[in-house]
Amino acid sequence: MSNVVLKCEDLGIVFGGLAAVNDFDIEVHEREIAGLIGPNGAGKTTVFNLLTKVYEPTSGQIFLNGESTAKKTTVQLSKAGIARTFQNIRLFSKLTVAENVMTAMNQSMKYSLLEAVLRLPRYWKEEKAAREKALELLSIFDMQGMADVRAGSLPYGAQRRLEIVRALATEPSLLLLDEPAAGMNPAETAELMENIGRIRDKFGIAILLIEHDMSLVMGICDQITVLNFGQVIARGTPVEIQSNPVVIEAYLGKHKEG
Amino acid sequence: MNKLKGMNRTTRKNYLTYALVIAAYVILEAMMRGGGLKAATKGMLVPICAYIVMALSLNLTVGVMGELSLGHAGFMSVGAFTGTAATMCLQAAIPSTGLRLCIGIVIGAVAAAIIGFLIGIPVLRLRGDYLAIVTLAFGEIIKSLVGNVYMGVDHGQLRFSMFTNELNLSPEGKIIIEGAMGIRSIPKIATFTAGFILIMISLVVIFHMVGSRSGRAIMAIRDNYIAAESIGIPAFKYKITAFTISAAMAGAAGALFGNNYSSLIANKFNIDTSILILVFVVLGGQGNMLGSIIAAAALTILPEALRGFADYRMLMYAVILIAVMLVSNNAKIKDVLKNAAEKRTEKKLAKGGAADE
Repeated sequence: MSNVVLKCEDLGIVFGGLAAVNDFDIEVHEREIAGLIGPNGAGKTTVFNLLTKVYEPTSGQIFLNGESTAKKTTVQLSKAGIARTFQNIRLFSKLTVAENVMTAMNQSMKYSLLEAVLRLPRYWKEEKAAREKALELLSIFDMQGMADVRAGSLPYGAQRRLEIVRALATEPSLLLLDEPAAGMNPAETAELMENIGRIRDKFGIAILLIEHDMSLVMGICDQITVLNFGQVIARGTPVEIQSNPVVIEAYLGKHKEG
Repeated sequence: MNKLKGMNRTTRKNYLTYALVIAAYVILEAMMRGGGLKAATKGMLVPICAYIVMALSLNLTVGVMGELSLGHAGFMSVGAFTGTAATMCLQAAIPSTGLRLCIGIVIGAVAAAIIGFLIGIPVLRLRGDYLAIVTLAFGEIIKSLVGNVYMGVDHGQLRFSMFTNELNLSPEGKIIIEGAMGIRSIPKIATFTAGFILIMISLVVIFHMVGSRSGRAIMAIRDNYIAAESIGIPAFKYKITAFTISAAMAGAAGALFGNNYSSLIANKFNIDTSILILVFVVLGGQGNMLGSIIAAAALTILPEALRGFADYRMLMYAVILIAVMLVSNNAKIKDVLKNAAEKRTEKKLAKGGAADE
């Protein structure tokens, strides 16, 4: 088995007496695409917010590449290798598409503010390299032509794709995608699916995704975790999940006799 | 191809700003030498430069960083008092007025930067309205403190006291800052050329900062705080950097301003001045440096130009300000501009699509 990138043990958070997520555990390996599904309000996005320390977990542990993330902040976790997209798109809308991607390379760039103000050679060298890398990453989604358009003026689907490119620019080992196909039509979803697979192959990273579109989830995930009321109710391959009675009940409700 | 075009668009506007500032300087300087400027106009050149730098500095905080600061006059005050006191203390040691002014401006900038950094530590933990109110409070605190400082030189030694004059200077000693009376008999060594150079330096710093990874990080925090943290941008570090640089510029502007008048009092740098500078920034457009320059220059000249209205001068000033704000924010005019921008975007998208095939 390949390396474990993400491992959660008994992860939980309580909001004012309500356990939004309880005893959550998961293992995601290198080059694996894991799906996280469940009805609305099941706590899926809360799991992402726990993994990225937007919320501080009230219990349990998270290990990234074998190291505990207990003492790390959101910013440090980005450096450690977690990148994410957001359910409600969060781009830097007044910056251009290329600038959005280049901003995510900030921590791998070295020149100082003084070097930037004086426009010393290292500034030019690193800026040029960053711009080239940004265009290369944008080409995954055929977006290099939009590089100098303001991110806020992009069509909806392109904004979702830009969020993924921006996340990749931080060179993560774990990519968290929060409803990447939301608002996309079936053709766009199919293309996105193909691209997510390509990203996994090209960068060799682990991907954990939240998605409501079952064709996407069942089509590309190696393993699926089902969450309901903050609890893991099922786990398995797409085929196993599809026929699991507990999952069907969570989604459709209990069949009433008579 | 796209790369060149993309870089050109921002760079083009920056170059236009430099060019207009240089052109304005050359023309005014030529007029001054040719005797074509009235004494009253001549006297306004340095304050205009100082206010332009103030507007640029505040635009860095408001436009680029996206946080409202209502205490910017406080940093100007720190720069004005330290910068002017410095040039007066160095009067005997450095005969060259140009060099002395330069040192005064640097000292003013450094002093304001230190104060800006210290104030930034608590203030930048807040955001939005709360931050604005706290900067207002700090502006008032600075004003009160500066108005209670006593400083003198005695046999080459600096003496300080707060609230009451306890300097105990010997007969040869000289008082420089005298509490609420401020500084008097300033030699007035500020020049228009120094003001011009200061504007150019401020522009270079702002433009080069905005075009760097630091600038992108600061604007990313402004546009979306949560997303910026998720890609590893430490928000506080970048905000305090921008705020300190902004304070330093305000301090430099203050030092220039202080060295232009024969006397200087702490009450000059009150909330009215902070708001006036904010008006320059809002009128010129947030993030628009050229707009700030034009607005600062126009609104500084305006009260003088309206002298003919005598008692109604400030009323006219207010009416013109309201009219300009209404016209520049007119929905129809904005629509026209927005449509033009959208067309540009569409063109670019169409071109981008074509390039992919």
